[in-house]
Amino acid sequence: QHNADPQKTAFLLRKQWTLYSVTPLYGFSSAHLKHYARLLSAFTAAEKQKGLAVEVGVELDIKVTVSNIPDLKGSDRDQDAILVQLSLRSSASQKNSEEKLVWSGCFCCVSGDHLSENLPEDFTCLPLFLANGAEGYTSIVGSWFQKTFDCCFRRLAISPLNLSWMAAMWTGCQVDKTTSAMELVFSAPCLPYPLDISYAIHPEDAKALWDTVQKTPGEITQEEVDVFMDCLYSHFHRHFKIHLSATKLVKVSTAIASAHCDGIIKFLQSKYLAGVLTLLTELAISQIQ
Amino acid sequence: MDETVAEYIRRTVLKIPRDEIKMILQKWGFLSEAQLETINFHQIKDNISQDVVQLCEENSADIKQAAVLDIIYNNIYPNKRIWSVYQMNKTGEETEFFDLTDFKKKFKRLLRSALKNVTINFREYEDNAIWIRIAWGTPYTKPNQYKTSYVVYHSQTPYVFISASVLRSNLPLLCQALVVASNYQDIREMELRSHSLNSLKDIVFKRYSQNFQTYCPRPLTERNVAPETVDLRIIQENRNEKERIQRLNREVFGDGPQPKIEFAQYKLETMFKSDPKMDVLDKKEPFRCLVKFSSPHLLESLKSLAPAGMADAPLSPLLTCIPQKARNYFKIREKKGFLPGSFVSP
Repeated sequence: QHNADPQKTAFLLRKQWTLYSVTPLYGFSSAHLKHYARLLSAFTAAEKQKGLAVEVGVELDIKVTVSNIPDLKGSDRDQDAILVQLSLRSSASQKNSEEKLVWSGCFCCVSGDHLSENLPEDFTCLPLFLANGAEGYTSIVGSWFQKTFDCCFRRLAISPLNLSWMAAMWTGCQVDKTTSAMELVFSAPCLPYPLDISYAIHPEDAKALWDTVQKTPGEITQEEVDVFMDCLYSHFHRHFKIHLSATKLVKVSTAIASAHCDGIIKFLQSKYLAGVLTLLTELAISQIQ
Repeated sequence: MDETVAEYIRRTVLKIPRDEIKMILQKWGFLSEAQLETINFHQIKDNISQDVVQLCEENSADIKQAAVLDIIYNNIYPNKRIWSVYQMNKTGEETEFFDLTDFKKKFKRLLRSALKNVTINFREYEDNAIWIRIAWGTPYTKPNQYKTSYVVYHSQTPYVFISASVLRSNLPLLCQALVVASNYQDIREMELRSHSLNSLKDIVFKRYSQNFQTYCPRPLTERNVAPETVDLRIIQENRNEKERIQRLNREVFGDGPQPKIEFAQYKLETMFKSDPKMDVLDKKEPFRCLVKFSSPHLLESLKSLAPAGMADAPLSPLLTCIPQKARNYFKIREKKGFLPGSFVSP
């Protein structure tokens, strides 16, 4: 376990992040971060000039910072995570002007050795990208990185299978104050009138169930996840006669984190941050390969 | 005309879809036909509403007229709000003659004795519905016309439909006023909520086509079905099964359109039961869950589940009982004793 300073990674908590997989970056160097920030800043300003609607009257400057976060990694073989932040600064008064953080993007690789192992030297492996803020800025920053480092961004979809894994894994985690239910959200969009079902279980009861399913602490098998989900499905069926397995699992929420099939995540506990990022890194790598 | 009244009228008109504005203003009747003729209803809504306010200024509109316009708007577009259903009861069988004037007087008196700052308006409709609009203030502030509660009371029935809005603290007072004014003894909130006021009425007034529990002797196979020109090479597998599902669905949901509700919520406090072979949880305490169903038209959606293969037919009575029980919020506990696996809903 890497000794991470939780303060450095706290910015990830309790915010909604949109997930992307990123192919390895060619020619990227963490020695040139300030240079990249300047280039990206110029690029962003140019994109703005091209005609993105800006508030009339107030001239807003976009300030770009690119920094690295050595604390955000799984092992020493991982690359340092890179954080890109966009702030709006009113250029009316240059000194002491308020800066408002409007967009954050984080490239990281947590225990992603198997991808970086066979890469030639010029490539940097940071397969997981998290974005928070307006879609327009994500698009601009993404375009610049794609052009500059010849990489490719793709939205990270999370399948119902992976969501079930998260449900099982996160239910088993020890949490100090069990306040949040373990919630599964299902969707049946193809009916004449679409149906959404939210199935929330008291976290103590969900954990009690999982603890009897999991045979070896520290290890989870696909079979155990299947048994866990089948138990929940059959409890539901007993009451409502509806087969949840015939619907689509679209979202999982626990006290640890919540994940949506469209590739949206929210981290809620710093203790388990690394664990969730490891899982997401793996999903990103699978999507790339 | 008061600034706040002008602004309120302007905002109310802006809520109305442009094509409906003239009709609603006519229903309102506060502006004359001649005045309405002077408005260009093809311009943008901002300008239409300004013109309306101008004319209201000429007629010296006050808050009472503005409130009536608001009632009319909410009566035509009730689905913008969430409605809860309340039932009043009293001992004694005689149906007393309902005196509208007396009702209004008592209602206003009770509310005003507790709260000086409150705007109360009534409007009666042909279907015996009395609409009441209440704008709430505090002992120190004027009524907030944007934080209003609505009550729809059908005087021939013990049912009241309330759209309370944010200020739920005024609800007990409102309920008390209703009970006193209508000469009932008490009032209770039913576990039934929806955006669709008409569907709530359908459910409590039993205006939907109910399924009858009698055995239905296979009408599907006996009916004369017009011969379809189908390709004889295509065989319908499981035809019997499909027909069985359709029949059971009809028995349970009835033939007619379902009342429109958007959600149902179940708080489950039943035991977790599993196959003993699976060697999983075997606790003596309830497995606590909260299940929420939502859909633009929930009952029709549930009805389509079995034919789509996503549910067994017949669907669970926990779902199909919603219109009969007139509720969409449930607390389910295990039924002790004779029938294991059956549920009780208090």
